[in-house]
Amino acid sequence: MGSIKDRVAIIGMGCTKFGENWDKSAQDMMVEAAYEAYNDAGIEPKDIEAAWVGTVNSGEVGNFLAVPLRLQYIPVTRVENRCATGTDTVRNACYAVAAGIYDIVLALGVEKLKDTGFGGLGQAYTYLNPVLSPRGAAVPMFAQVATRYFHRYGIDPMEGKKIIGQISVKSHHNGSLNPKAHFQREVTLEQVLNAPIMGWPLGLFDCCPVTDGAAAAILTTPEIAKRLKPKGDYLLVKALQIAAGPGDHQRKDDYDMIHWEETVRAAKRAYEEAGIKDPFKDLSMVELHDCFSITELVTYEDLGLCPRGKAREYVEAGTFTLEGQLPVQPDGGLKSFGHPLGASGIRMIYEIYLQNQGRAGKRQLKNPGLGLTHNLGGAEGGFIMSVAIFGPPGS
Amino acid sequence: MAQYIKPLPQITAETREFWEGCKRHELLIQRCKDCGVYRHYPRLMCPKCGSWNVEWVKVGGRGKVYTWTVAVQPFHPGFFEDVPYAVVIVELEEGVRMVSNIVDCAPEEIYIGMPVEVVFDDVTEEVTLPRFRTA
Ligand SMILES: [Zn+2]
Repeated sequence: MGSIKDRVAIIGMGCTKFGENWDKSAQDMMVEAAYEAYNDAGIEPKDIEAAWVGTVNSGEVGNFLAVPLRLQYIPVTRVENRCATGTDTVRNACYAVAAGIYDIVLALGVEKLKDTGFGGLGQAYTYLNPVLSPRGAAVPMFAQVATRYFHRYGIDPMEGKKIIGQISVKSHHNGSLNPKAHFQREVTLEQVLNAPIMGWPLGLFDCCPVTDGAAAAILTTPEIAKRLKPKGDYLLVKALQIAAGPGDHQRKDDYDMIHWEETVRAAKRAYEEAGIKDPFKDLSMVELHDCFSITELVTYEDLGLCPRGKAREYVEAGTFTLEGQLPVQPDGGLKSFGHPLGASGIRMIYEIYLQNQGRAGKRQLKNPGLGLTHNLGGAEGGFIMSVAIFGPPGS
Repeated sequence: MAQYIKPLPQITAETREFWEGCKRHELLIQRCKDCGVYRHYPRLMCPKCGSWNVEWVKVGGRGKVYTWTVAVQPFHPGFFEDVPYAVVIVELEEGVRMVSNIVDCAPEEIYIGMPVEVVFDDVTEEVTLPRFRTA
């Protein structure tokens, strides 16, 4: 098996303000994200040789991107892989560059949900496990993982609710420092705990919002990147992994409901691909798929950022805050930056890109470097998980 | 019978046997005829050994609560009068899991490991749902 490490560079990125973008169509947001990325890369639209567009709900085929951007008869492919759509869009584009077929390509993710009546995660999905998520509602599925996790580690449910509540407080704080975030207000633990319950123990502030937005990346070879960006203000792709679960989620002997095997497998392969021995020490930031606060807690452990059952101690010590040893969701995460499904994976890369160029404003990290992105799509009994790693030249 | 406005299961060729069993107040679960492993939801191929050789077995309907949540927001008009209600995953003695409700206790009394047994709820003339009561 080959490796993508250091074979593809990201030389330009763009991202719209995420939120309730009533005044913009999906096409408007695609133009905005793409042109920010073109300008950032210092290229012309005509330099794009092929493009990939990721969307779950908002468009069907390649023309969905080719038309608003007026791409001139180049190959354009639509990618859909649930909440891992954005990352898989980048992955497809990277492989085409690494294969030596194209010099400069565009990967763009977009979702326009607010005026479609989309009522929440899970509704868009046709295949679901009829045992564990029979009607596709995401809240009860993740709530049942929270209940089981608390039980497994002897945590009183009210105590457990406080632990995951601190994760939302942290992400809202980071989002308050981000002018492109959907929510830019802090919340207190008291507000989180007193918010209306969606599915016990998850309350309103344990859930990410439904969001509109688009994000784009221009990809090329490391050689061209050096030429176009001699100051080194680009990112190198270090790892791109996807794991599609086979449905080991139905019997007592195959699934414990306190971890997600897809994340574990994708992370293991990504660390091997990037040459990472200890993710907690080697990574400088993580953007993981915090669709719910409990998802973030469990994913700390699945990514190997802390030992099994110890996530509580790390949360209580502030390890994953902006000032902590390993900032997680420095940009506010899905919780606060928002979750336009097809755009989310590329939005995560955008933060690693900005941080490494010292462009992250009030949330700028002192020592940025390798960053990890993680997406979790679908449902118990068949998640699509992505783990990708990016770093500046020389990392 | 009062009009039933909640969503009903879509009965397919693969699941018909299961729902027919429920109508007779029998819990039928598929078992692989080659490796003997039970499986639920109903499907063509054994998830353990890949065999297509399958039989339906009437099981005891006893199990334990594996995990639970409490639904508080009625996202469908049929549930307005039910909230808050618990949604549980029951692990049957045969090893398979199913989503259901507990009919005879309040949500706050439910705990992981609680012993339960199946009861049948004839919600329409065509459909009977398996639910559980404390055992
Ligand atoms: Zn078998």
